[in-house]
Amino acid sequence: MTSTPPFGERARSWWHRPETRGVLLIWAVLTIVLVLFCWVPAHLMGPPASPTMHAIESTVTVFTAAACPVAAMVWAIALYSLLKWRHRGVDQPSEDGPAIRGNGVVTSTWLLVSSALCVFLLIWGLAEIGAVSAPAASADPLVVDVTGQQWVWTFSYPQDGNIESADLYLPVNRPVVFHVTSTDVIHSFWVVQMGIKIDANPGATTTTSVVPDKIGVFDVRCAELCGLLHADMETTANVVSPAAFRSWVVANGGHV
Amino acid sequence: MSDVAVQEEALAHPSGGGVMRRLNIGTALAGGAVLGYVAWALAHHFLQTDQPVTSDQVTVITMAGWTVGFLAGIGAFTGPVRWLLGKDQTHEDEMFLAGKDQGIWRYFRFTTDHKVVGIQYLVVTMVLLGAGGILAMLIRADLVTPNSGFLGPQTYNAVVGMHGLLMIVATIVMVTGPFGNFIVPIMIGARDMAFPRLNALSLWLLVAAIPVLLSTSLLGGIPTGWSGYAPLSDQGPPGMDAFLVGVIIFAISSAIAGANITTTILTMRARGMTWNRTPIFVWGVMASVGLAIPAFPMFMSAMVLLGVDRSLTGQFYVATGGGSGWLYQNLFWLMGHPEVYVIVIPAIAALLELTPVFARKPLFNYNAAVMAIAGIVGLSLLVWAHHMYASGWAPDLNGPFMLTTELISIPTGVLFLVVLGTIWRGRVWTTLPMMATYAMLWNFIIGGVTGIYLSDVPADYALHGSMFVTAHFHYTLMGAGLTGAIGALAYWFPKMTGRMLNARAGFVSFWFVQIGFNVTFLGMFAVGFAGQPRRVSHYDNLFAVGNLVSTMGAYIIGVGMLILLYAVVSSWRSGVIAPANPWGGKTLEWTVPNPVPLENFEVLPVIIADPYGYGEGDPSSLHTREQREAVVGVGAGSSEHDAHGSEGESS
Repeated sequence: MTSTPPFGERARSWWHRPETRGVLLIWAVLTIVLVLFCWVPAHLMGPPASPTMHAIESTVTVFTAAACPVAAMVWAIALYSLLKWRHRGVDQPSEDGPAIRGNGVVTSTWLLVSSALCVFLLIWGLAEIGAVSAPAASADPLVVDVTGQQWVWTFSYPQDGNIESADLYLPVNRPVVFHVTSTDVIHSFWVVQMGIKIDANPGATTTTSVVPDKIGVFDVRCAELCGLLHADMETTANVVSPAAFRSWVVANGGHV
Repeated sequence: MSDVAVQEEALAHPSGGGVMRRLNIGTALAGGAVLGYVAWALAHHFLQTDQPVTSDQVTVITMAGWTVGFLAGIGAFTGPVRWLLGKDQTHEDEMFLAGKDQGIWRYFRFTTDHKVVGIQYLVVTMVLLGAGGILAMLIRADLVTPNSGFLGPQTYNAVVGMHGLLMIVATIVMVTGPFGNFIVPIMIGARDMAFPRLNALSLWLLVAAIPVLLSTSLLGGIPTGWSGYAPLSDQGPPGMDAFLVGVIIFAISSAIAGANITTTILTMRARGMTWNRTPIFVWGVMASVGLAIPAFPMFMSAMVLLGVDRSLTGQFYVATGGGSGWLYQNLFWLMGHPEVYVIVIPAIAALLELTPVFARKPLFNYNAAVMAIAGIVGLSLLVWAHHMYASGWAPDLNGPFMLTTELISIPTGVLFLVVLGTIWRGRVWTTLPMMATYAMLWNFIIGGVTGIYLSDVPADYALHGSMFVTAHFHYTLMGAGLTGAIGALAYWFPKMTGRMLNARAGFVSFWFVQIGFNVTFLGMFAVGFAGQPRRVSHYDNLFAVGNLVSTMGAYIIGVGMLILLYAVVSSWRSGVIAPANPWGGKTLEWTVPNPVPLENFEVLPVIIADPYGYGEGDPSSLHTREQREAVVGVGAGSSEHDAHGSEGESS
């Protein structure tokens, strides 16, 4: 067995190899360029209208940022190889490349990094699940019964005299629990800017919850193909001040 | 052909075949049409017309009649019937069945030669991709402006469903069908598949399923998308009945193909081809078809239950009768998630196979690549409910399913490492197959990263059911899957057709397809983030720009695919004649002449090492004993290697 040089020496010679520096340079440039665009997904998702959507947009931004160096590394190695070792022409290269069958250090590093990233994603996701399900456990939530049918939404307010509405009205900053069902096929109740979505199933009631924290008019859409007019199954979610909500309830024949 | 001519031919070639001589795709179509009509007439006559389920029953019976008639007409039952009558096939019959001396006609018959079946699969795949692609163009034309009204909601839903269905079928068979059949048996040193007649049966079942699937558009369409969610599918028109029959036929076809290919690989590898000397593509194909064996019966049973619901007033999925749509979703995704790996694994394995050839280097970390494929196969059976986070079925399981889903990123990452490690310091020979590897590295990273957003439960609440999901799975199935299949086609085209694929047209097509693809689906990611639902025929003005971009990209893909079609057809007819081994590959298919003889090998090869000994120079790193004997002379050291089975791996 030939004697292996000490680790420090090997690391130094690795660092001085042109391939190492070339790949790291491309990797650094690509990573910086990609990170500069990390805000784009959250920007496309629009201003959040609930802490849930806020958490989701942070997740998307953080995951994008975490993905940047990984994608950059893959592309940097591929690009460097192409620039440095490309063989053009129609004829097979006259000689083979070096017979490298594997590299234990590289493989273990790769596995360690990808496992660490995976654990990070998982812990982040579990913490986030806890955060977004918090409104359901609050003391005095507003309850809204949501019924999907081909191709309209109906919202009813059991705590406020069972008034019904085709538009969703919510008071700002009060936790809401939605009980969602359907009378015919599966629909999916989606309040886009609040980041909540739950299927409306015939014969079953599903729940989701949220704290709307922004006054405004938001979009309710159906997210499950439900037949002919699926695309038209949209309505508005109107988040108003508590006083305005009370007067909306009274004006619709309910009591607060 | 008149009887006299048949007799003369029989005299000229004193060989068997019997009734099979008269059967071909023409008699199959006639048989299908006749039996379909008879089934329809009988069903109409005997079924009570005042029942609301009658049209469903009639549709199912008619489709079943067509299928049986088609298979009888092609001769699928001839062999079994002869055995039942005690008349076994003679050697001449077998040779006729294998397509010996039949020229072009063998492609239109129930031919058992795996190479013929491979070419048949290739053509069927191209037809399916073409039909699905035309529908994609219609979808994008409808979505060019927010309210184009081009198709209208009913036609739009039917077109979306048919596009999904045809593309899923096409992508499932696009690698394991053409290349799994044509290449794998040669690659493992076999003379044919383990069950050649089942091989032909799986192909002709697929062909029989296509008119059934297409007929849905004449029967009201499928309003559910290809996923066929119940109870919307209980409510749909008779098109749903044709859909469920078509899917059942396809599931049987894939089960037969899966059992056949798996058995072939398990039992018919050449002497000395131990598991660590088996080419990685063979592993990929076995993983894919092996995964299909547990997966597709789930879809089939989902369809059987749907058929019972629709035709026999069952209530499996109907809440008022005690059923549940969640039952359907579980069955569907127990097929649906393994299925994406059924599509992607063999495509990436094909790229893993060809990358060493064009980098002129051994496959990096062979063992890790095999373990990664095995890991993906195992995990893919445990992730199905990540499609159901927002369904409300079992919210407490969302966390565990997030875990299994995110774990898949580890073996998938290993596959990236294998590709990169193989390219590293290689002689990157930038032919079309190698360009496909590069395109996969780009597209599959984007597909994988966006899959991580969707694996995260809260982020999925925002993105599920939106165009984001559509863009994501196109990046995996098309960006990695179809790109891999195009790479495989370019790589094995010389062996399958005997001619080189036109490199210039292939190059132009590559750039059109890849640029168009990224434009289309990056635009679709944008509108998905912004909140556009999937499968909508019109949409908010907010999404106008992204959709316009997607439509333009889609038509660039369309042009690119037409150029590819031109390249394939013109090269097949009149391309440059290919040498037996144009790329300097080391796997066994490159050792046989063009065109490949009926029984592939005169003398079956003996394997002494894996096929990745690039740059190793040592004769013992050559793939076969014949290659080594050509270098060092007959008999030198052969017994030693044969005695040591699996220890010969050079690593």
